[in-house]
Amino acid sequence: MRKYLTLFIMSWQKQLEVRSDFIFERGRSLAVLFSLYYLWSSLLTNRADVAGYSRSEMLTYVVMMTLLRAWVLSNVTDRIPSEIAQGKLSDLLLRPISHFGYWATQDAASKSLAIGSVCIEMSLFVFFIRPPLLPPTSVAAAGAFAFSTLLAMAMYFQMSYMLGVIGFWTAQSWGPRFCFEVFLEFSAGAYFPVDLLPGAAQKVLAWLPFPYLVFHPLSIYLGKAGPDQWLSILGHQVMWIGVLTLASRGLWGAGLRRYAAEGG
Amino acid sequence: MKRYFRIWAALAHNSLRTQLSTKMASGGYLIGKLLRMGFFLTYLMAIFKQLPSLKGYSIHQMVLFFMTFNLIDVAAQFLFRGLYGVKYLIEEGDFDKIITQPAHPLFRISSMGVDFLDLFTLVPVGFITAWALSKIPGGVTPGGVALYVLLIANSLLIAYAFHVFIGSLSVRTHEFESAIWVYRDIMTLGRFPVTIYSDLLRGLFVTVIPVGVMVSFPAQALMGLLSWKGVLYALALAVVLHLGAQRFWKTSLREYTSIST
Repeated sequence: MRKYLTLFIMSWQKQLEVRSDFIFERGRSLAVLFSLYYLWSSLLTNRADVAGYSRSEMLTYVVMMTLLRAWVLSNVTDRIPSEIAQGKLSDLLLRPISHFGYWATQDAASKSLAIGSVCIEMSLFVFFIRPPLLPPTSVAAAGAFAFSTLLAMAMYFQMSYMLGVIGFWTAQSWGPRFCFEVFLEFSAGAYFPVDLLPGAAQKVLAWLPFPYLVFHPLSIYLGKAGPDQWLSILGHQVMWIGVLTLASRGLWGAGLRRYAAEGG
Repeated sequence: MKRYFRIWAALAHNSLRTQLSTKMASGGYLIGKLLRMGFFLTYLMAIFKQLPSLKGYSIHQMVLFFMTFNLIDVAAQFLFRGLYGVKYLIEEGDFDKIITQPAHPLFRISSMGVDFLDLFTLVPVGFITAWALSKIPGGVTPGGVALYVLLIANSLLIAYAFHVFIGSLSVRTHEFESAIWVYRDIMTLGRFPVTIYSDLLRGLFVTVIPVGVMVSFPAQALMGLLSWKGVLYALALAVVLHLGAQRFWKTSLREYTSIST
């Protein structure tokens, strides 16, 4: 356990090494927040609701979505393909630490920094802009939302780890990764609520894991998903974590068998 | 001039060969960019199905703003992407080589990463812009089109100035690599007309962070909604920013210390 703690601290130090870059990197998330916040604020100025979302609900969705982008959708596993391509993986394989644990620890360190940072950014945003934020509909909803968010973090880590492991097959995985992330962000509800899409698109997305990353946790928070639906949402998340874990372990094993330690 | 065109063509050819040698990565990027544009349009359409207008703008006018943002963003990436990597050039020692070569270093660096993938994304941008224009009541005038072209060129000059500012910061400090991404993200605020923002932000977007001048002004000019004062202000701002960026670059070069020749 101690080695993971050391790795966690080292990862923090590395990310804060060039602080200007860290601050700029964090500042990027505010652009999405501002553009969507003011878009919805303008759209709902003289209207009671859009697609069943009142002004307060939609603006709460936008602010909470920004938090979930930092908590759930941040990752560091995009460095795995270069680690494989440059042979640095050989060095890791010789250490008494699991590869999955190594990246999960670094991801946790990155997420903890992002969580701290986004809380400060959001506090400033709330202080200056004073958005009409809604609290969770009940204490139980707050608990279910927190649990659902944790499961979403686990789900996304498995997805991003799998994308990293594709580096065993190609050194050009960053292109497909970019494409995947664009698709994921839109279909997860990380720009707009998924239920704004046409019915057919919603039906297709319901079969995929992506809406369980942002949209469904926020549905719990806003009370759009009632207590009778919580179990289904959490159950789906657990199911997807299981499926993705099996898939990522399978890919890791298959990749390791073809690994030739080039450059290592 | 001819020599500079030859240099640009040679560097662009290198970039194209690099992109063709990484077909999977390049294809993924291209599809990702098209997907992002498609998703945004789908959501915009879905939202506007339930709303007649936003601050007086119809869905087709909103699409025009969004396409203008794409046009400027894509063209700036195509032309100036090389300036994203100034810090990397310094760390690798290549910057020292470039500043000793008989070509303007800014031109040389800007031309190093000509992004041909972005050219492909201009095809749907062109078609969708034409579609949106055909749906705008009253259409557009030749004068409006001429102003649009002029202000797009003006926006590219402003974009270039920002790229040079950020590149200069890297030369001075060997840091601020992420600043270019912050610029890109701030640009995304121009996906929608600046009139949707609060008074304070709107003021910022036409002065300190001129996203409004870069994206909203050309689209408004095309629709005949921009005054002559606005046009003259945009042109003057671009000149001031360009001269400021060039001066900052020169002083940054004077303070540059090599770290890895």
